[in-house]
Amino acid sequence: MALIELNHLTKTFVTKSQTVDALKDISLSIDKGDIYGIIGMSGAGKSTLVRCINYLERPTSGDVIIDGKNLSKLSDSELRQLRQQVSMIFQHFNLLQQRDVRGNIAFAMEIAGMKKPDIDKRIDELLDIVSLRERQHNYPSQLSGGQQQRVAIARALATNPKIILCDEATSALDPQTTQQILALLKDINQRMGITIVIITHEMSVVESICSHVAIIDEGVLAESGPVETIFSQPKTAAAKRLIFRNVQKAEKLIGDRMIRIVFDGQQADEPVIAQLINQCHIMVNIQFADTRNVGGKAFGQMVLQLPDDHLQQDKAIYFLKEKGLKVEEVKNHAH
Amino acid sequence: MPIEKMIPLMTAGVCDTLYMTLVSTLFAYLLGFPLAILLVLTSPKGLKPIPVLYRIMDAIVNIFRSIPFLILLIMVIPLTRLIAGKAYGSTATIVPLVIAAAPYVARMIESSLLEVDPGVIEMAQSAGASIPTIVFKVLIPEAKTSLIVGATISTGTILGYSAMSGAVGGGGLGQIAISYGYNRYQTSVMLVTVVLLVILMQIFQIVGMTIARKTDKRTRE
Ligand SMILES: Nc1ncnc2c1ncn2[C@@H]1O[C@H](COP(=O)(O)OP(=O)(O)OP(=O)(O)O)[C@@H](O)[C@H]1O
Ligand SMILES: [Mg+2]
Repeated sequence: MALIELNHLTKTFVTKSQTVDALKDISLSIDKGDIYGIIGMSGAGKSTLVRCINYLERPTSGDVIIDGKNLSKLSDSELRQLRQQVSMIFQHFNLLQQRDVRGNIAFAMEIAGMKKPDIDKRIDELLDIVSLRERQHNYPSQLSGGQQQRVAIARALATNPKIILCDEATSALDPQTTQQILALLKDINQRMGITIVIITHEMSVVESICSHVAIIDEGVLAESGPVETIFSQPKTAAAKRLIFRNVQKAEKLIGDRMIRIVFDGQQADEPVIAQLINQCHIMVNIQFADTRNVGGKAFGQMVLQLPDDHLQQDKAIYFLKEKGLKVEEVKNHAH
Repeated sequence: MPIEKMIPLMTAGVCDTLYMTLVSTLFAYLLGFPLAILLVLTSPKGLKPIPVLYRIMDAIVNIFRSIPFLILLIMVIPLTRLIAGKAYGSTATIVPLVIAAAPYVARMIESSLLEVDPGVIEMAQSAGASIPTIVFKVLIPEAKTSLIVGATISTGTILGYSAMSGAVGGGGLGQIAISYGYNRYQTSVMLVTVVLLVILMQIFQIVGMTIARKTDKRTRE
């Protein structure tokens, strides 16, 4: 049974000037142990969706079922109880500025009603998990963004939650720090079996750690499923737009005969294009490439400009097909 | 006025002024703090919106804030008699001072509480905190510095009001300034009271700001 189940969720914001349908009939199920990415353009409704999962935002209609409990049926105090099982981390960390690192980590446990000695013991464990022992008496203003986010992660972990919701948790961090935080989240997922939901607008976040992904476009769930499936064969326009961001632009530049090759799970370390050039002595021009390495496998696509010679063109196509790649003609818009 | 008469007069004046100011500030906070918390919680964007209650409290605060203090002082004389037994003297003046200061203090506190980062409040909610927990563990501690600055400003304002009340028999330095300086043309007495008021104001300001700065954790040391 799914740990998180969203059934026909809709959310409409009514303001004086307008009504916004932020979520339209979203159904999604997330299993225990998943790292589930939710990706979409700005304003697509990602934050609204994740805030519905812990009922910070009450859906206009539809159900949120967590661990078999329908949130709409819970009393206020039952809901607060449940939220101790569903932690959240945020883009801007949201730490208490007047408390030090230890005080911030303690916060969630104080709310859960834990006793002081137990809290202190748990803080010590958590400081080791997030490697912040030497910073334990610092205040948030004395920490870097990455360190602040690690405090937030420690706080989120403190009450042994089943689920951690991350809303753009790495969007305020530089790429290197982002990778550190993602590695920490992945480690938490694997060692403690905590289910993680990650909201992001960055493709690279999904690639690095997600097992599943849902694509949200203007409040609608465009596609969802395992990352490999969605990335190799995006079906909807919205998914393609996100995954192959600049393809349309590249196609307009085409002059000669062009082919598109699609990678959907080949070994990423096999240098296909180099082999084509070296072994077949065929020169190709890479017009566009958007490939990525997901768990050692290559996904994405590349647009190649072939030499004018027809024999060479056929040889190149034959070679690429041999390597297990899908090859398509790209329509020549220039003529 | 000879110096040996001036010193006891001024000492009594300073004591009366401090008494009125500090006791009024205390009561103004006892009334204003809960009022401010209710305003913040029940506002349309608050944690527990109750529009009707909010609008009523908001209106009451605005009405009292817009009545000039001297007029309020006279308006509430019957109430002052009822509570303090008489309408003049320092203790009696505390009644109108509190009535004038409580809405002012409530607004100061409200604006401090509203400065707290909504993201932190959302964090507390997402961790399962109840509204009282959010008020006492998040709103007030996070607004601490701003609350202390606000208290400093409020105390200064109440000090000013207390001096003003001297015009209608309020006691303290204000009354000394009026009865000696204005009524009996003893300009030197008036000047001394003014200097003393300025010194008191400075002391409040320095003490308040120092506490605020010393307890703020948001700046890198
Ligand atoms: N409280 C609100 N009142 C009115 N409209 C809202 C509210 N919250 C969100 N919206 C609207 O709902 C839509 C979705 O917003 P949401 O914050 O979920 O987007 P998002 O995908 O998280 O975007 P971003 O990547 O920029 O954070 C937007 O059009 C937004 O303006
Ligand atoms: Mg968002």
